[in-house]
Amino acid sequence: MGLKQIELTVNDFSHPFLVESDETLLFTLRNRLYLTGTKEGCNQGTCGSCTVLLDGKPVLSCMTPTLRCVEKKVITIEGISSGENLHPVQKYLVKNGGLQCGFCTPGVVMTAVPFLEENPDASRREIKEGLSGNLCRCTGYKKIIDALENAAAEMRS
Amino acid sequence: MDYYHTPSTVDEALTIAGKLSGNYTFFAGGTDIQNYRKQQLDTNEYVIDLSEIEELDSITIVDGALHLGAMTTLDKIVSSDEIQNHYPIIAEAAKTVATPVLRKTATIGGNLLVTNRCTFYNQSQEWRDGVGSCLRDVGDICQVTGGKNDCYSRNVSDTATALIVLGAEITLMTPNGIIQKSLKDIYLPCGIKFHDLEERCILTQISVPIEPKKWWYKKLRLRKTLDFTSLTVAATIDTAGIARVCLNGVSMSPILIEKPLKELTLEGLISIARKNCKTVDNDLMPLKYRREMINVYLKEWWKSFR
Ligand SMILES: Cc1cc2nc3c(=O)[nH]c(=O)nc-3n(C[C@H](O)[C@H](O)[C@H](O)COP(=O)(O)OP(=O)(O)OC[C@H]3O[C@@H](n4cnc5c(N)ncnc54)[C@H](O)[C@@H]3O)c2cc1C
Ligand code: SF4
Ligand code: FES
Ligand code: FES
Repeated sequence: MGLKQIELTVNDFSHPFLVESDETLLFTLRNRLYLTGTKEGCNQGTCGSCTVLLDGKPVLSCMTPTLRCVEKKVITIEGISSGENLHPVQKYLVKNGGLQCGFCTPGVVMTAVPFLEENPDASRREIKEGLSGNLCRCTGYKKIIDALENAAAEMRS
Repeated sequence: MDYYHTPSTVDEALTIAGKLSGNYTFFAGGTDIQNYRKQQLDTNEYVIDLSEIEELDSITIVDGALHLGAMTTLDKIVSSDEIQNHYPIIAEAAKTVATPVLRKTATIGGNLLVTNRCTFYNQSQEWRDGVGSCLRDVGDICQVTGGKNDCYSRNVSDTATALIVLGAEITLMTPNGIIQKSLKDIYLPCGIKFHDLEERCILTQISVPIEPKKWWYKKLRLRKTLDFTSLTVAATIDTAGIARVCLNGVSMSPILIEKPLKELTLEGLISIARKNCKTVDNDLMPLKYRREMINVYLKEWWKSFR
C-alpha cells in the first residue's frame, strides 16, 4: 500500500505531508494534524461525531478516504467560528445547555451548520430528522434541538 | 502501481480495472464498502474511486422514462422534484436508507449493489475469530444455521425493493460493450455471490418507464433512522391490474411476487412470500418476529387499496 505525499487544505491552510494510502480523513485529521476536535466514536458511520465539511458538504470523516480529499477543502470544528466569535450554532449550544460531556458536539455542529444554511426555515421536526445521524449519549436531545431552533432564528435574521 | 485511482470517465475506470486483474474494489460513495475494508472482509489490493465520474451523476427524463446515473447521491434523489412528482416511491425508499449525512455521499448505484449482511459476518476480525469464522469468511459452515452448507446473508437494499416493483432496467458497461437487463435479474439467491455482475463491469444507469401506478412502501427497523432493514416491502398495482410485491431484508435476494390482482388472495400472497423468503436468524430483530411481520406488512398493503 505505502505512503503517499499529498497536500491537504484544512481550515484554509494547506499542509504537505505523508499519509498511508488507505487511511481515513478522520485518522489524518486527528493523528497527523492533531486536530482532535473531530471525534472518533464508532469509526463505522453510525454516530456522526466525526462529521466535517468537504467542499462545503457534510461527510463522515471515518468513512472518507484521505486521498479523496486532495484538491478539496476540508473544514473541521476548529475552523467553524470566526476567531473568538462563535458560530450561532455553537453559541446557542452553549447558551441553551445543548451538551453535557461534549463528545458528540463537534459532529452536531458540523451537521447543523450546513443543514441550517440549506434549510433556514426548517421546522423542529425537520431539524430532528436532519440531525438523526448524530447520536448523543447524554443530553436526551431536547436541548440540542432547542439550541438549533434558536440558532436558525438568528441565522435567518 | 498506485493504491488509489480516481478515473474521471467510465472508460478510464475500465482501463484501470483491466490493469489490476481483479485485485481492486470500486468505491462509489464508499459508505458500505469502507466498513468491509476496515473489517478485512474486502482485502483487494487497490481501490478505484468512481466519485469523480461526473457523467454518472444525473437525473433525467427522456422519452417517457426516468434515467438515474449510478453515481447520483441518494440525497439528490430524495430532494428531486422530478422523482417526487413521477415516482414518490423512489424518493420514499431512498429516504429510508442510512442517515441524512450518509445520503449525501451514498449513491443509488452503491445502494443497489450494497453488500449482503449477516450478524455473524458484519463484525470485527476478532469477533469473527471468537465465534469461529463462517462459510462466507474463511470457515467451513454457516454459523447462523448451525452448520448448513449455504450462506443466507440478507440483501438489504431498500431502493432495489422499490425499483424492482417499478420494473427498473439497468445499464452496465463492460470492456466488451454495454449490457442492459432488468434490475431484478442481477440478484442471485446466494449470500456469497449475491449478484451476477461480471468482473470489470460498472453499473452506469438505472431506467424506469413512467407509468401511473398505485404504490406502497414500508421498512421495518429498530430505529427510524440509521438502521439497516429488518424487512422492506414495496408494492405497486399498474393500470392493467397487475400487482407487484417485493420483499427484501429477509432473504439472500429481493423476492418479487407478480400476479394479476384478481388472481391474488391475501392468504395466497402470504403463503408464497413465506415460502420464498429464506429467512434465518441473522438480524438484530428476532427471527419469529421478522417472519410474523411479513404477514403484518402484507396485510397492511392489502388493506391499503381495498
Ligand atoms: C450507519 C449506516 C447505515 C446504513 N443504512 C443503510 C440502510 O438503511 N439501507 C441500505 O440499503 N444501506 C445502508 N447502509 C449502507 C450504505 O450506506 C448504502 O447502501 C449506500 O447506498 C451505498 O452506496 P455507496 O455509494 O456508498 O456504495 P459503496 O460503498 O461505494 O459501494 C457498495 C458496493 O457496490 C459496488 N459499486 C458501487 N457502485 C458501483 C458501480 N457503479 N458499478 C459497479 N460496482 C459498484 C462497490 O464496489 C461495493 O461493492 C448504511 C451504512 C451505514 C454506515
Ligand atoms: S448466513 Fe451463515 S454463511 Fe452467510 S454470512 Fe451468515 S453465518 Fe456466514
Ligand atoms: S466515528 Fe464516524 S460516524 Fe462514528
Ligand atoms: S453531550 Fe455527551 S454524547 Fe452528547
